[in-house]
Amino acid sequence: MSEIKIVNATGLACPQPVVLAKQAIETSEQVKVIVDNETALENVNRLGTKLGCEVKSESKEGGVFEIMLTRKSGVPLPSENVNTSCDSSAAVSGPFVIVCSEDKMGRGNDELGSLLIRAFFHTIAEQAERPDIIIFYNTGVRLTVQGSEVLEDLKVLSNKGVEILVCGTCLNYFNIKEQLDVGIVSNMYDIAGTMTRASRLVSP
Amino acid sequence: MNKQIPYYVMLFKSVNYALKAEKILKAEGIPHKLIPVPKQISSDCGVCLRFEEQYRIHIETNLYNKVEFEIIQQYSW
Repeated sequence: MSEIKIVNATGLACPQPVVLAKQAIETSEQVKVIVDNETALENVNRLGTKLGCEVKSESKEGGVFEIMLTRKSGVPLPSENVNTSCDSSAAVSGPFVIVCSEDKMGRGNDELGSLLIRAFFHTIAEQAERPDIIIFYNTGVRLTVQGSEVLEDLKVLSNKGVEILVCGTCLNYFNIKEQLDVGIVSNMYDIAGTMTRASRLVSP
Repeated sequence: MNKQIPYYVMLFKSVNYALKAEKILKAEGIPHKLIPVPKQISSDCGVCLRFEEQYRIHIETNLYNKVEFEIIQQYSW
């Protein structure tokens, strides 16, 4: 393992920390970036993920964060330009939200739709870019109760910090509130509020 | 999580075979998971069944002569 390159980006405003981190990781296998605000932390984290690096961040004393970016062996950095500007940052404009209004993916054939939704959540649970929040309502809430085929994947996401909001009215309507096995029972204020402030809303 | 864990995927010629195989495995209570076909195997938008090594023989016995399939070993990390 080659030595770790250290980028001290404290006191620097966006997009400097991201630009410096990107330059450093292009020439070193492992880079430690030091920043002093949460926006920079999130932006550098996102850069690392986009570049396919292993990303580990630690909070240090005095509001300082250390982010360790490690290139995965044998994986080249993406050749296309990764955006380092600030206004594209999801953290600034709101969370990345997945809205699941049905227990199937797409319409037309139910058997196919339930197969697709399983493949969808499996993929979401495995990929590096995870949503911040997943909302379930209408028949979508059936995916969050005991016996659901995607429960395992939703639990993986939940353990990784993805917030899972489940419509309480819907659980009540289907009489399955007692069987809820992942996420928290939510209400229209939270659901509508989350959707309103989302930077990206994805619906399978 | 640097340890490589082997697992198997079972590929089918059509989605309908995958569903048929799944029904059989469900009825038999054999643990498995329906997943998209890993990108390194095919870029088609297909699904396959993932299972652990210990269930391989059980699965093959149950599907033999009922569904056409192919098994490939994979590594996750």
